[in-house]
Amino acid sequence: MNEYIPMQAEIVDIDVESPNTYLISLKLLDDMDFGYTPGQFVMVSVMGLGECPISITSTPTRHMLQLCIRRAGRITNGIMDSRIGDVLGIRGPYGNGFPLNEMKKDILIAGGGSGFATLRSLINYIVDRRIEFGKVAVAYGARTRQDLYFMQEYKGWQQAGIDVGITVDIGDESWKGNIGLVTSLMDKFEIYGGSAAICGPPVMINAVAAKLMKEKSFDHSDIYVSMERHMKCGVGKCEHCMIGPYHACQEGPVFTYDKVKTVL
Amino acid sequence: MKALLPRDKLLPFLTEMSHKLEVVAPVLANEEEVFCTWTGQPLAFDENPLNPPTEFLIPHRETLFRYVQESGRYTFEEEPQKSRLVLGIRPCDLRAVAVLDRIFGAYPRDSHYLHRRRSTLIAAMNCTRPKESCLCAHLGSGPEAKDEYDLLITEIGSGYLVEAGSPAGILMLSDHSEFFLNATEAQLMEKDQLMKQAEEVVKSHSDVSLQKMRDTIKMADWESLGRECLSCGGCTFICPVCHCFNIVDLGVPDGERVRCKDTCILSGFSRMTSGTNPRRTQGERMHNWYLDKFEYIPQKTGLPGCVGCGRCGRVCLAEIDRWKLEAVR
Repeated sequence: MNEYIPMQAEIVDIDVESPNTYLISLKLLDDMDFGYTPGQFVMVSVMGLGECPISITSTPTRHMLQLCIRRAGRITNGIMDSRIGDVLGIRGPYGNGFPLNEMKKDILIAGGGSGFATLRSLINYIVDRRIEFGKVAVAYGARTRQDLYFMQEYKGWQQAGIDVGITVDIGDESWKGNIGLVTSLMDKFEIYGGSAAICGPPVMINAVAAKLMKEKSFDHSDIYVSMERHMKCGVGKCEHCMIGPYHACQEGPVFTYDKVKTVL
Repeated sequence: MKALLPRDKLLPFLTEMSHKLEVVAPVLANEEEVFCTWTGQPLAFDENPLNPPTEFLIPHRETLFRYVQESGRYTFEEEPQKSRLVLGIRPCDLRAVAVLDRIFGAYPRDSHYLHRRRSTLIAAMNCTRPKESCLCAHLGSGPEAKDEYDLLITEIGSGYLVEAGSPAGILMLSDHSEFFLNATEAQLMEKDQLMKQAEEVVKSHSDVSLQKMRDTIKMADWESLGRECLSCGGCTFICPVCHCFNIVDLGVPDGERVRCKDTCILSGFSRMTSGTNPRRTQGERMHNWYLDKFEYIPQKTGLPGCVGCGRCGRVCLAEIDRWKLEAVR
């Protein structure tokens, strides 16, 4: 079997998360199916345009494969111009995902911008298996109110006993919530010495990790960072996603902070 | 299994082989040595061609599959691989094949590569007359072949001593026994003598070593080397071990998904859609290339990512001394 030949998946639903971001629900065709872990990704093809890595936004505990797509380049434009019923190519899942068995029970999740897409998989996984986890908190920041993803889900997360903090960089009249950095949300969380899952811009990752280690007694090996890299193959051969000796598509995209802090 | 192919039997043997499969060999084309499909051109065994024979395992451009659309769904078609004999692979390049086998054979395997590899027969050729730029003996890859081959050829006074290294190699000899003579003890000793001499020649050229190189990499001023580098990518395109690739689609609604060579030395290689580039400067990219060859590939495969063929030094437009890591001019 040729690893580069994708499975086919039909778009069954499209939700608009923000003006330039859609949540796309997919149904794999030809009786194909795969299991995955929160934090893993797939290679998505629009035949004729090419292929790019997209993190899985849905949780394996629910039977629907969802991808959060932001209009950014040639291929994501192609995906977003697709309609319900159109077919995309899917290869994967690839990467390691969050090591749920190694992570502590108390988990702090911090996301910035479109990095939050991969963390939604973990959050909904925790919601569905709440009894297996301890204290859980989510800190999420976006540029403006319009850029916040998954707004209709925050209430459900809170009902599941998850502390949810949301912030924006730039507020307006309609925004009554927090304005400022993601780190400003973290003071109220009563989690000390737990595990963290972070995805976002490097500046934000460094700031969150520093605060966790300094003020919340987190160890750098308990801070898990999902890294973004350019990728072509997904199977550790094309070398585009190298982070030092590691391939983000194989040994990553989730790394402990101590492994990647020098490249952030 | 060992045999002697007399000089006047080489071309008849190759002609016979070329009726059964594609024969690739180093030939003279426009007075340049080049690995290409042999159709009777003059063979060039004196100098290792600039284009590495690993091009026939990872071509500059190859079709991964074809996609055909019908009412919104796709069917995917693969081309069968053709059988091939690559003749005249030097021990350095043979080591490169071993490295690539380990990289592409590591889980998750690249079956596209492995299919082509399995349909490729290798007739390696020991280096009896190494060149000034050769460093194989220092890196443990030559001048005598140390890695897997189907046939191994050594040019000696009376012709070509041919040794089989695999069941396929034994079959090649036994199926074409009309071209071969039995090898004598004296001919085998002649080969050993030639290889010993060749090793001494390579060792006398320089005193580079893996450990020295690792120390040099730590000491080098990468930012100033980055300013010297012209970012042409030449060193990576002719390196037999370099295997970075890009994947692109050609054609709408039907077309082909193509894998083509790429190089980590160019600025766009690691740049992401957002514009963020994890390796921003040419110095960082060069440093990464060296670390990959001398640290990361050895960690992954147990073999150095540099085989000492000397090609990168032959093409470097900036004339950077590849082993001292300083500009020559």
